[in-house]
Amino acid sequence: MKRLLLDRKMYVEFGLAAVLFAANILLTIFMPYLTEHKRYYDSGAYITVLAIAFVIYVFGVHITRKKSTSDIAVVVFAFFAVWETAYKTGTVKNDLLIPSPEGLFHVFVEKPEEIWLDVLGSLQLLFWGFFLAILFGTLLGLLAGWIPRIREVLLPISNVITLIPPLMFSAYLIMVFATFREAAIAVIFFAVFWPTFQGTVARVSQIDRAVIEAARTMGVGTLGMLGKVILPYCLPGIIRSISKSLRGAFMCLTGAEMLGINLGVGYFIEKYKSFADYRCVLAGIVTVGVITTVIDILVNKAEKTLIRWEE
Amino acid sequence: MTASEKTGETRTKIAIRDVSFDYVDRKTTFAALNHISLDIRDGEFLCILGSSGCGKSTLLSLLSGLNRATSGEILLDGKTVRGPGPDRAVVFQQYSLFPWLTARGNVLFAIRQSGRKYTRKEREEKAEEYLRNVELLAARDKYPGQLSGGMKQRVAVARALALESDVLLLDEPFAAIDPKLRQELQELVSSLCAKQKKTVVFVTHDIDEAILLGDRIVVMEPGRIRTEVKVDLPHPRKRDNLIGTPAYEALHQKLIAGFYAQVRENIDTEVLL
Repeated sequence: MKRLLLDRKMYVEFGLAAVLFAANILLTIFMPYLTEHKRYYDSGAYITVLAIAFVIYVFGVHITRKKSTSDIAVVVFAFFAVWETAYKTGTVKNDLLIPSPEGLFHVFVEKPEEIWLDVLGSLQLLFWGFFLAILFGTLLGLLAGWIPRIREVLLPISNVITLIPPLMFSAYLIMVFATFREAAIAVIFFAVFWPTFQGTVARVSQIDRAVIEAARTMGVGTLGMLGKVILPYCLPGIIRSISKSLRGAFMCLTGAEMLGINLGVGYFIEKYKSFADYRCVLAGIVTVGVITTVIDILVNKAEKTLIRWEE
Repeated sequence: MTASEKTGETRTKIAIRDVSFDYVDRKTTFAALNHISLDIRDGEFLCILGSSGCGKSTLLSLLSGLNRATSGEILLDGKTVRGPGPDRAVVFQQYSLFPWLTARGNVLFAIRQSGRKYTRKEREEKAEEYLRNVELLAARDKYPGQLSGGMKQRVAVARALALESDVLLLDEPFAAIDPKLRQELQELVSSLCAKQKKTVVFVTHDIDEAILLGDRIVVMEPGRIRTEVKVDLPHPRKRDNLIGTPAYEALHQKLIAGFYAQVRENIDTEVLL
């Protein structure tokens, strides 16, 4: 059966989103500035972004087949149309704090290399801190989940530590570590390690006794139990928790970068804040949003391919 | 080991020697098994029959090594059982397949645990063979979550057989399966175990199931063995051919007498009180 690009029922919503998209393009190209003293930026980058957003929306509505997808597109495009109109008519008084959408997205054309390097830097820090935290948090969690004596020591301790917001001790960690890189990795590590540990312990204790007993009757020893039974049993839960902790880790990272690490998107935002270049600050914030979303999507994809069994 | 013990069928495979088991629950102690002794011969299919709470599953957990006897000992081939091991395969009442492995993966796991040195190809072939034995070859790539209850227990049987142990312990494996399918599975287990000359201990509360499968039936009442009945019906036994025959009815009567005598005694004491 040939699948239509759209269900017939969704024509109205799709039409509305498409009209708003077209309106945005027309506004950008043809609407004159009704006020003087306005900064002018080339609209190429902004139009590209609008076009990309529209393409993503069309794909999205094709996959999800939901009216709400169209509703989201309508809200987003309406927001941009209002923003553009408000700016060009001069309703926005302080154009330093609130740039035009053209101006905002033009940053990506002006400083592509700087943004790219900062994104890469952030991702590198994120990868190492996150990777190490998941690895050790899971290992220790499996061990503590399986051996009551270890659990009864570590769980109360972790309960106290996780009550302290990670950003609170990141300022201190930045002082302790020799380089900013290490400090940032440590911040992420501590932000992710304990929650991962606790989640793993909880999952191990929820394992079906019958499964454990079956493994024991087959002569599986302690190491085999951890590696061949408990780990695979808990893996879906661990992977599912990754997307959640990844979000937290990225928030911590950008936070830590703003606190003093001279690398990454957070640093980018902090730097341009001190230059009072809020156009760049906003561009940095948008970048963080885009990266987080992309990571989220990738992790969800990985989750679906890795977990083939469900209880 | 003496000469007489070595000769064929009379050799004792499992010896239960004066075994007791107490459940300790906070301050109260409950004696689930009270000085039980029982010999199980090599190649014998023994059914342990009893109502719920009589300690039959506890006895099986001691045989499997998942629980340790409070006093007394269990000997397997003359050696004391100290814990679970791949020399005794177990099929549980509740579903216990590894949910992250396919049907074949579950069987392969057991083959690896058997400790026998097979090549990868041999293992694959063995797994297919065991799944074919339980008539589940078509579902080999399904995960337990995708299988029905009956299919899951069939995979569990295949997994237990794949351990290639001499001893097979089954704890009411078909209790949760509908009667028609249960009958199929009973006949399947009966013929597979007979073919491979396994020593089987099969725990059940179903009199018909015990007669259909067992060479010998041990009837339990709370904490101890009440009586023992030998089943001399020829194999293979088909339920449909057996029911109504005089030999079957006689056995049935005998077991019911043993099975319900204790229940009656309980009621009598309550009436007296």
